[in-house]
Amino acid sequence: MVIPAVGTLLGVSIILFVSAAAAALVFSHWQKLCNTASNILCMAASVSGIWAAIRHLLAGGEKVVILSVGITVPIISFDLAFDRLSAFFVLGLCILVFCVSIYSIGYVSHFYGKRNVGLFQLLFSTFILSMFFVLTSSNAVFFYIAWEVMALLSYFLVVFESEHSEKQKAGMVYIIMTHIGTAFLMIAFMMMYSYTKSFDLYGDSSAIPQPARNVMFILFLIGFGVKAGVIPLHIWLPYAHPAAPGNVSALMSGIMIKTAVYGLLRFVLVYLGVENTWWGMTLLVLGMISAVLGVAYAFVEVNIKKLLAYSSIENIGIIFIGLGIAFIAFSKGNRTIGALALCASLFHTFNHTLFKGGLFLGAGSIQHATHTLDMEKLGGLIKKMPVTAVFMLGGSLAISSVVPFNGFASEWLTLQSLFGMIGKGQAVLNIAAIVAVAALAIAGALAAASFVKLFGISFLGLGRSEHSEHAKEVSPVMYTGMGILIIPCLVLGIFPSLFLKLTDGLVTELAGQSVTGNLGGPLLLARYEAAPGGNSISPLQVAAVLLILFLLALTVIRLVGGRYLERRYGTWDCGFEALNSRMQYTATGFSKPIQIVFRILFRPSRELKVGGDHQYHPKSMEYTVSTEPIFEKYIYAPVVKMVTDLSRRMKFAVQTGSVHRYLIYIFVAVLALMLYNRIA
Amino acid sequence: MNSLTYNILQLTVMILVAPLINGIIRKVKAFTQKRKGAPLLQMYFDLFKLIKKNTVVSETSSWIFKAAPYVVITTALGAGLMVPSVTLVAPSGFMGDIILLVYLLALGRFFMMLAGLDTGSTFGGMGSSREAMISALMEPSILITLFTAGLAAGTTSIGGIMTKVKEMPAPLTQPVFIMFFLATLIIIIAETSRIPVDDPSTHLELTMVHEAMILEYSGRHLAMMELGASVKQLVFITLLVNICLPLDQLITISGIGAIVLSLLLYLVKVSAAAVLIAIIEVNTVKFRFFSVPNLAALSFILAFIGFLEYFVLWR
Repeated sequence: MVIPAVGTLLGVSIILFVSAAAAALVFSHWQKLCNTASNILCMAASVSGIWAAIRHLLAGGEKVVILSVGITVPIISFDLAFDRLSAFFVLGLCILVFCVSIYSIGYVSHFYGKRNVGLFQLLFSTFILSMFFVLTSSNAVFFYIAWEVMALLSYFLVVFESEHSEKQKAGMVYIIMTHIGTAFLMIAFMMMYSYTKSFDLYGDSSAIPQPARNVMFILFLIGFGVKAGVIPLHIWLPYAHPAAPGNVSALMSGIMIKTAVYGLLRFVLVYLGVENTWWGMTLLVLGMISAVLGVAYAFVEVNIKKLLAYSSIENIGIIFIGLGIAFIAFSKGNRTIGALALCASLFHTFNHTLFKGGLFLGAGSIQHATHTLDMEKLGGLIKKMPVTAVFMLGGSLAISSVVPFNGFASEWLTLQSLFGMIGKGQAVLNIAAIVAVAALAIAGALAAASFVKLFGISFLGLGRSEHSEHAKEVSPVMYTGMGILIIPCLVLGIFPSLFLKLTDGLVTELAGQSVTGNLGGPLLLARYEAAPGGNSISPLQVAAVLLILFLLALTVIRLVGGRYLERRYGTWDCGFEALNSRMQYTATGFSKPIQIVFRILFRPSRELKVGGDHQYHPKSMEYTVSTEPIFEKYIYAPVVKMVTDLSRRMKFAVQTGSVHRYLIYIFVAVLALMLYNRIA
Repeated sequence: MNSLTYNILQLTVMILVAPLINGIIRKVKAFTQKRKGAPLLQMYFDLFKLIKKNTVVSETSSWIFKAAPYVVITTALGAGLMVPSVTLVAPSGFMGDIILLVYLLALGRFFMMLAGLDTGSTFGGMGSSREAMISALMEPSILITLFTAGLAAGTTSIGGIMTKVKEMPAPLTQPVFIMFFLATLIIIIAETSRIPVDDPSTHLELTMVHEAMILEYSGRHLAMMELGASVKQLVFITLLVNICLPLDQLITISGIGAIVLSLLLYLVKVSAAAVLIAIIEVNTVKFRFFSVPNLAALSFILAFIGFLEYFVLWR
């Protein structure tokens, strides 16, 4: 059997994605065929991509040029190249696309007869293709184009169901924010060219002087930070995700925001090279803020998708903490800790793709089945949607980083790299490290609380409205797609060395040192100079011991207590007639204590309206609680106001509508350029 | 001693000693109130009786409700295996790690909070919500405290830390461990639902946290929940006493005798800790729920000072 080359496989993958888009167009009159054909082609394309990526990560490693397009413009090329870093992110992309496409076969069916399925599938598959190009382009201009196309297509997908003004606003916030980020990237790429005379991503950056490097780092950080959704650049996430269809938000949160992590690694770590400690420090601090605030906002949310969106911010924060430690360690020349932290960060990136992708698909299923995402209207879904419930629970456990899921493995590595970073004579770093430990701890506990809330309120207890009463389990393709994402969370949690082995080449390439060393079996290992041998745990052993203890508990209870006899009876209803769903704790009530404790952060306000003649005999009562969006109110609103005011004034001063004036502007501009050319 | 024997011994010690701690605390509390109190071994009788009883399960609940007790007891026992009661033998069998311990207990807590919401009762959700707050507030100080102890010992392995402190001259005279002791004491009080954070002996809706979550449980499920909580309490107490007060290095004999002696010393230490907790419980009043953050902040600050002292004084 001839094993196809990596380049061929990726070529096949691209062709299949293109044909998925074409199929969507061609079959747009036959909605069912269009949906199935396009999604199956996407699945085939991603299988090819997964194969190529795994092969490239394990063997190979050299840069492979997939596609070389000859064009006459000298400095720009449309070459697609593939190295280990690209392979890692393409792997995440393709796994997610595979599952989301399976899911979409069922999910998109609710568009039949209502919306243009062909258009949706066209946007969907080209969006995937644009992300593919972002991850594989080898030229900054092409990267920029792909990046922009990705932003635009995702915008169209966000506003796909745009009858509500809410969704239009969401799209608007998203497109403005992402363009602000893109502007910063553009400046960075221009600086890149002006110093090196090349747009080549794999080129040499040694010609760039030190101050310019610092400026470029900040530009990249802001440019990619917006896409990643790092606080305070996060405001588009909680708008865009609830507005987008379920499968789209899975892609956006699962992999699109990770393209920013790719960008940071590609441009800052690989291209520029990390020399300054403050770069890592900035990432670390931003990561801590994002992790804690992100999850704090997630906890008080009552909309499932908004909760998930804020939780994405938290997870990006954890990834940034890992990156920050890695950057600090690299700048100090400590390769061991750098490799460990980088590995932790990559691991968490991958894990987040799996469980957040799965959870967003689950949220899509809930919306599909109940037509609402408001937790206050849900409840008791575990009986109506048993399979979705199991996978939702799995995803919730994984994202809460409890043992033995993959979230724990990456969090363990992050904490271990922090443990290794704390050392002699570096007071600021030590305090930053221990604060990061505290940040991770509170973020972990609040994440668990948030997902107890998400699962507990919407899946357990009694149904709170008609929506949940009439829910039905979604079609098998939908929960299969979700399940394929969630099951690996447990597998990778028990066998983390699978992942460590897979990315060993990449980590060695980026950090100059391997983490796994002599990794045997399902161990999870952290090595540093301070502790000979380092620390290790074995998740497989933990899982096995837990299983044994569980069986032991079962047996002993059975032996001592005899046969299990159960009586079903109503829950204690406090002596009233009967328990009803309104006696349960609400989603708002569940997070109330934290909201009160951190009121400085949430600035909650409440309003109680009592209807009727007398306050002691109210006929109706209305209670509203709201939290104040600090970042929007105190950072964005003033800026927006300033810009609008300035534009309004400009209208009268500069842009008057008079053709004569415009001619003068053109004349002055040409004159100025000619003068500049003469002088420079 | 091979690892299987060691683990069986450790498991037995955990299961047998855990209810005794509750007995001691109740007895001391009874004495201070001029009562005779229930027998020291009352909790064993209770557990035995509960296991034999039939169970009542809420009509509203799902499989989560029945799975939760098993998860809670399993994770508690798993955590129990990680904190060696006897540090004479190197715990080669089960590799315990401070981070693993924290996130393993989080699994149990996750299911306990879900179980509170599963019955659809008014109390369950209240308990879960409060537990979520307390755990979020306590978590940073738990990790920092354990991290500091780990840094002082140069490893995150619990067995490693306990072995290392044996070489140190009287840990409790060193500022780092004084802070460790105080912070851990507050953590124990908060994590094991003791006064002033929670009151294990009342069922008033104003005060319940842990009891509210498990209110709907009965029979063998309740027994597992109770035992799980009490093993978790012993886990934290073991961490406290075996790190702050290592005595095993004093034992000069070897063989089975040494292990028996070490176990006796351990029993004395945990009983002393139980008496201390009981005294704290008797001498404080239940805090208003929204005063608990102050306690958490205190514990966090103690843990943080401990960390700073590690740098200033240790090397």
